[in-house]
Amino acid sequence: MVLINLTGIQPTGFTLLAEGAQPKEGENVAVTVERLLAEDSVFFETAGGIGAVITTDTPYAELDAIADKLAFVVIEFPAFGDGRGFSLAVRLRKDFGFKGEIRAIGPVIPDQALFLLRAGFDTVDVTDERKAAFEAALSRFPGFYQSDFGGQTSIAHARHTAGHTIEGHREAS
Amino acid sequence: MAKKITGPQLILANRLDDGRAVFLTSIGTWSNNAADAAVAQNEAELDTLMTVAQAADLANLVVSVTPVVADTSGGVTAPAHIKFAMQARGPSVRADLGYQVSPNWEQ
Amino acid sequence: MYAYDTYDHAMVNARVAEFRDQVDRRMTGELTEEEFRPLRLMNGLYLQLHAYMLRVAIPYGTLSANQMRKLAHVARKYDKGYGHFTTRQNIQYNWPKLSETPDILQELADVEMHAIQTSGNCIRNVTTDQFAGAVADEVADPRPYAELIRQWSSFHPEFSFLPRKFKIAITGAAEDRAAVKWHDIGLVLKQNEVGEVGFEVLAGGGMGRTPVIAKSMRDFLPISDMLSYLEAMLRVYNEQGRRDNKYKARIKILIDAMGIDEYRRQVDAEWEKIRHVPIDVPDEEVARIKAFFAPPPLPVLADAATEVDELANANFIFKAWLANNTGAHKVPGHVHVTISLKPHGGIPGDATDEQMDLVAELADAYSQSEIRVSHEQNLILPHVAKSDLPALWTKLDQAGLGTPNAGLLTDIIACPGLDYCALANTRSIPIAQTITERFDDIKRLMDIGPLKIKISGGINSCGHHHAGHIGILGVDRRGEENYQLLLGGSGAEDASKAAILGPGFNEVGIVDAVEKVVAVYLGEREGDESFLSAYRRLGPDVFKEAVYGTD
Repeated sequence: MVLINLTGIQPTGFTLLAEGAQPKEGENVAVTVERLLAEDSVFFETAGGIGAVITTDTPYAELDAIADKLAFVVIEFPAFGDGRGFSLAVRLRKDFGFKGEIRAIGPVIPDQALFLLRAGFDTVDVTDERKAAFEAALSRFPGFYQSDFGGQTSIAHARHTAGHTIEGHREAS
Repeated sequence: MAKKITGPQLILANRLDDGRAVFLTSIGTWSNNAADAAVAQNEAELDTLMTVAQAADLANLVVSVTPVVADTSGGVTAPAHIKFAMQARGPSVRADLGYQVSPNWEQ
Repeated sequence: MYAYDTYDHAMVNARVAEFRDQVDRRMTGELTEEEFRPLRLMNGLYLQLHAYMLRVAIPYGTLSANQMRKLAHVARKYDKGYGHFTTRQNIQYNWPKLSETPDILQELADVEMHAIQTSGNCIRNVTTDQFAGAVADEVADPRPYAELIRQWSSFHPEFSFLPRKFKIAITGAAEDRAAVKWHDIGLVLKQNEVGEVGFEVLAGGGMGRTPVIAKSMRDFLPISDMLSYLEAMLRVYNEQGRRDNKYKARIKILIDAMGIDEYRRQVDAEWEKIRHVPIDVPDEEVARIKAFFAPPPLPVLADAATEVDELANANFIFKAWLANNTGAHKVPGHVHVTISLKPHGGIPGDATDEQMDLVAELADAYSQSEIRVSHEQNLILPHVAKSDLPALWTKLDQAGLGTPNAGLLTDIIACPGLDYCALANTRSIPIAQTITERFDDIKRLMDIGPLKIKISGGINSCGHHHAGHIGILGVDRRGEENYQLLLGGSGAEDASKAAILGPGFNEVGIVDAVEKVVAVYLGEREGDESFLSAYRRLGPDVFKEAVYGTD
């Protein structure tokens, strides 16, 4: 596997905490959201950076209690067509003001690279053979009709910004 | 594991590039004409045909490989079910299009 | 109509390049069929029985003459000389080669057309009233809002992988010609007490195997809040719509499960959080888009045209065509004209490349170069001077496009069915052909009056049988084509679900049954009561008795 960096963030190095295992002092660990919610104090007091591993069926409201304590979030797609993962990232950014790294894992496809970026993801874990296609997909569209969490304003707004052109769209916004 | 079949079957697919319906022949080629289709009489024969068909799928020649019940009663092999029979003929409402014109109608 | 700027052009050109790359990766085997299938579907490319099928969007059913000429060119160069206009204001080509589809899409992009999101689990082509901007009974032209939704929904970062397909329809008129209550979201333009224009918002309609009529979400939504409210509706659906069973994944099932009140509560809660964030476009953008839909500069003309009366007196078919296929325009002395794609014995919705070219030529000559496609699978010239009607009809009639049956029994909606479609269970076109041949008498049709027959060859309900005054659904009964008869549906403002009358028929029996149903109506109607009104008054029993006998 190889990590595609969508936003240029410094990716978090972490270990996935095995079931039943306890974090070492100061270690960056990724833990399932169920465990984080159940053993809240243990984790946030002992480990270093704590990340939540959430599956796409996690109700976003469950993250409310812990979002401000998380260093990073890993959203696990069971299938690339499971669009709930995109809404989860949007909710984290929008509802909880989450600023840390959001990573996608699972069978997402290169053609989704810009969708991931725009929904608020920073990084995506992909198979080695898909790296080139992912990177190519990132520069495919010069702009979009929606303002997004990748920092881009919508074409609708850009059209009415003085001096704005499609050629300079991605750089300008 | 051989799949249990109740009668003769043939293999239907669509060519990858133009999507046209094609039938697997006994020499491993794909024909526009259902009459050329190889007919499996039992599970072992069907397995053999499916192995050939799936290799063609992997080689990006065909897609949607489907074994279907064959009707050989008239002395000419054809898919039995109306849906697959339609694929062997062409749209019933356009007699000027499809294999009902001729298996080589597009050449 | 809307014209692309450099942003829109860049977008469709980028999409063509992306699809070309995807097709190349498929042809070389870098993508498997399983991986490629959802990608091609998101660009409207299906694999059907005989070939691929490409579905091209005609956004909200509006086309220029030049775009129609391009559709004709594509039919001629890449296909078999015809196309099929669908109930979703799209056109489908039945024989394209996979390797040529990127070239087709580039040709379409050159005239500001595309196949983006014409399939897949995303927000599909927004549909509307085919007479938008031409009729007097509308609160406002719905097309600027449809275009805003088209842009907002294209490549949406969050709503491109929904539980299931999602269809939005808008009407600006009191008479609903867009079947908005049968859509996932229906928007009805209206004015509030203080004269502001906004929408009534409906949600949860749909056909398929579980027909549901949309429920009201909100009586009045200001136009400036349209996109943020849609965003809230889609977000709640994306998060909570079922993903375990594709037959239960539409929003109608979610709303049925949680209740419309709970869905509304959740949507309102989300909307409160986002309505002041800049999702909604700036006012200047709304004004920019609206300007494209300014009414064409039609002169006010005398309402009477002697050349029309003369031909009508001399030619009954023209007289019938005037009565059935033309309707009042908001500018005096003009009409909108419905070009029937339902010749008796023909294939509903099909048009040849030559017919498309002719319609383009006639649009240039007589209709401000503008054409519409209706969900009833006809073409419309929206802005025609009455004095031009004799010349227009003569040319249409010579090309087989003058059938005077708009809105009558033979103006049948039919899906492609098993003649083309890999998802169908039975054929539907031959049933439409037999019915139109059986009723091939324009005087008889006009005596019967408005009657909508809708035929689906499968449970996907692409032929809208649930909304037919008479609906026909084909089912596979042990390998035989069998047709169920349904009565009493409506796709209009008085939307209702058609009910199955009784056991199904073979392909001859179903046509006999339709004839018996019509005979009951003719015998029982009171005054000028329509078929639908008579059915609603009489109930199914008298029809059942006529069709199935008493024992």
